[in-house]
Amino acid sequence: MRGGAIPIFAWGTILLVLAIGNWVWNGRAVGSGAASAAVLIVYGFGVAVWLARREAIRRGPPEPRSEPEAVPQASLAAVLIGLSAGCALFGLAWAKFLLYLGIVMFVVAVGRLIIELRATRATRRDMLSEGERQ
Amino acid sequence: MSVATRPPARVPVIGGWLGTLTSTDHKRMGLTVGVWSLFFFLLGGVFALLMRTQLAQSNMQFVSDNSYNELFTMHGSTMIYLFVTPMAIAMSLYLVPLQIGATRISAPRLCLAGMWTWICGGLVMQQGWFASGGAGRAGWSSYAPMSNGSNTPGVGMDLWVIGVILAAAGMLVMAGCVVATIARRRAPGMALLRMPVYTWTALVSTLMVVASFPMLVLVMILLYIDRHGGHIFVGFAGSIDYQDLFWFFGHPVVYIMFFPYLGAAAEAIAVGAHKRWFGYTAFVASMMMFAALSMAVWSHHMYVTGGVTNQYFAFTSTLLLVPAGIEYFDMVGTLIGGAIVLRTSMLFGLTFFIQFLIGGLSGVFVASPVLDYQAYGTYFVVAHFHYTLFAGSIFGFFAGAYHWFPKITGALLRESLGKLQLLLMVVGTNLTFFPMFFLGNDGMPRRVSRYPTHPGWGTLNELETIGAGIIALGVLVFLINVWTSLRRRVPAGDDPWLGHTLEWATTSPPPPLNFEAPLPPIRSYAPLLDLREEALDRARERAEVTTGG
Repeated sequence: MRGGAIPIFAWGTILLVLAIGNWVWNGRAVGSGAASAAVLIVYGFGVAVWLARREAIRRGPPEPRSEPEAVPQASLAAVLIGLSAGCALFGLAWAKFLLYLGIVMFVVAVGRLIIELRATRATRRDMLSEGERQ
Repeated sequence: MSVATRPPARVPVIGGWLGTLTSTDHKRMGLTVGVWSLFFFLLGGVFALLMRTQLAQSNMQFVSDNSYNELFTMHGSTMIYLFVTPMAIAMSLYLVPLQIGATRISAPRLCLAGMWTWICGGLVMQQGWFASGGAGRAGWSSYAPMSNGSNTPGVGMDLWVIGVILAAAGMLVMAGCVVATIARRRAPGMALLRMPVYTWTALVSTLMVVASFPMLVLVMILLYIDRHGGHIFVGFAGSIDYQDLFWFFGHPVVYIMFFPYLGAAAEAIAVGAHKRWFGYTAFVASMMMFAALSMAVWSHHMYVTGGVTNQYFAFTSTLLLVPAGIEYFDMVGTLIGGAIVLRTSMLFGLTFFIQFLIGGLSGVFVASPVLDYQAYGTYFVVAHFHYTLFAGSIFGFFAGAYHWFPKITGALLRESLGKLQLLLMVVGTNLTFFPMFFLGNDGMPRRVSRYPTHPGWGTLNELETIGAGIIALGVLVFLINVWTSLRRRVPAGDDPWLGHTLEWATTSPPPPLNFEAPLPPIRSYAPLLDLREEALDRARERAEVTTGG
């Protein structure tokens, strides 16, 4: 069986067993419609994953990586995104100008993030071309 | 490592203090979250001491009723949203990539953004103290309709809600990065069933964060809308809806706060016993069962409402005993036949299991609806959840702190101070929380700032206040230990305890990309122990050949 579907089917089965166990114990089905729908949705999702041949959990240990990586050492953009979320939400309760400041910070952070991501990609491209030359 | 790595060359390098604050190195992020969590722990501890001072005698007037409500709300919120859960994530951020042989964490920028969102959440929540009307005061669970705009008006409560949203969103992002790292960045040879015990506990815990924290974010957004005229949680049905949504996060978080510390205690015990963790596969299976069940027990907090199916939740709650039993069995199995060295980390690990047992066994009482009707809203519940949440996290945290401090700093903590701290913490914990069982059984309600003069209540409350002071003393000894050990360093070396897992195969502290030397072959969840055992086998064979010759 396609590995990725196993935990999804297991989850659906646990739901089903618990619902039936409760029915037997309690003498009446609790939320039978909701429980049936939940089980059907989970099983349906499992079938979809099974048909899509997804291997969510790879079998065996991971293989060695061969592709080079450009590892970011610092990111001002990420810090600004975190601070902008805090600033904007704080502004909702405290002072409205902080909400606008947060939005501006977020826009600046996204701009900076684009620069950082482009630099990372360019460095990776350089490493790949260096590898090919060697 | 076989993979070529290089920092991006086309953005200016950020150095100095800004470099530290913007670093995407998982170790720096883990340390930053850890230090902030510790700060919030001390803050939450101060709130607890103020509450205990108020409760030392009946009808004390140390703080006002309103201030007491703020104190217990902010104590619980600070400890849960800003210390125990984030500290568990901080440990995972630092240790998981090292334990699985990864050079870095997945999505480091996202993780950094999550970290700052969480820090902002903590600061916004505490900002409530400076608001008119004071900080949040509807309890850490802030049930509707008590927490709505009419019953708890004021900016402080809004700041509490926003703080929780930010903190939960930040933790969700950081946990997602840990999961992604385990899924995508394991070293060659590190199959899932070769991952160290701690990494498994971190994986299960962070998966549960990913599954349950969106619900907390959602329910807090709904509460914010409700407080500002949204009328979402109205009447009995609205109240039950709120509790259902809240506890769908609120019960899994108990295990999110427990698992990583269980993993830390397990690592400390296995290394201290110089043995492999016993019953590894059963342990992993029990973690999975624990996680699955913990997502199906949330309404046992709502037995008395009459709005949930008590039998079902009593059944699933009682089933939790099975995986818990397996974990205790594994712990005992690890100790049997081990060459036990009673270092501070080992002692904290063992104490963790013993103290949590009291919480677990009292949990059997409150898992039963009939008994819960008696205990609900009393100090019995306070005792139960402090034995699970405080004892079930703090002792594991200190086991981990003493175990991994040499790896993080390159210096050893003082063993004598550690043992003194342990003694103070054990005495303080039991003096503070055990009398609460008697008070609860006697009917003393929780969340009251004053209580009537009742035979025995005054003495038991006085004992609890003294116990809280002793816990504070224990924490002070830890801080002194850290300060002393960093000022007058006793070099630890790379592997002072003869560790089992990959973090001990690198330098102390680890270099920026974690491993400079090639990793040892990974054939089990204890690769360094494998190497030692192989070396021992070879030495034995040579000795036999020599003797035979």
